[in-house]
Amino acid sequence: METRKFTRLSMLLALSVVLNIVENMVPLFNGTVPGVKLGLANIVILFVLYQYGFKESLFISLTRVFLVGILHSGLFSIAFFLSLSGAILSIISMGLIKRFTKLSIVGVSIIGSLFHSLGQIIVVAILLNSMSAFNYLPIIILFAIPTGILTGIMSKELLKYFD
Amino acid sequence: MNKYDIILTLIILIIGITIFCLFKIGNNNPKEAIVYYDGDIVLKIDLSDHELRTYTIEGFNGDVVIETIDGKIRVVEEESPKHLCSIQGYISTSYESIICLPNKVVVEINDSIDVDTIVR
Repeated sequence: METRKFTRLSMLLALSVVLNIVENMVPLFNGTVPGVKLGLANIVILFVLYQYGFKESLFISLTRVFLVGILHSGLFSIAFFLSLSGAILSIISMGLIKRFTKLSIVGVSIIGSLFHSLGQIIVVAILLNSMSAFNYLPIIILFAIPTGILTGIMSKELLKYFD
Repeated sequence: MNKYDIILTLIILIIGITIFCLFKIGNNNPKEAIVYYDGDIVLKIDLSDHELRTYTIEGFNGDVVIETIDGKIRVVEEESPKHLCSIQGYISTSYESIICLPNKVVVEINDSIDVDTIVR
């Protein structure tokens, strides 16, 4: 890996970790509505996906989850597994959508946001051995649209500065 | 945003609103709240009672205080980092649930149990 790319990816990783932790501190998006978050770290993940590629964004995404786990929420805690499942499902869905459809970065972001929440619901259902987690489905589907559009537009603006 | 994004947004919006509406249609069957701890039923509460009642059960982090009134149920007090399930407030239909993940407590409402008894 060339030094330039390596440095950039490291800085982007650090940025996503910081955004993730800061987001947890802002009370409004702190999960007051269960399962709903702005997903600021997704701006960085999307950016990496478009600027570098799927492998790089998968790496940044997973490393971010582990680093936030170590620094903030605790490694292998409930929050960690929620974050991990959301991150994996989100990045895989975004990679596939980007590769196989004509959706722009905003559409890809909406899909990512939707699957991030879906991954979390699935983990809650498994952890509690109860299907009642799926009762949050409509709220999560509806909130994925504004949060997805917002992070999508922000990544799009960010990409302009790197071309 | 291109036209595909707009189509996607509309599809998700329609799916979301449809599920939301389906969830909001309640029925008038007698309701019963079921409280689970770690997947096991610990408490069943008849919600046709309109009196204010409080129940205390043991959660993973300590006591969880549950309150019922007028066919609604909520979690009043619990030990957790963010207190999400006490902030959530009342639920009253079978399509809602209260999930206290740190306490491993789930509150569900069942409104189809007594149908058989009524038919009989």
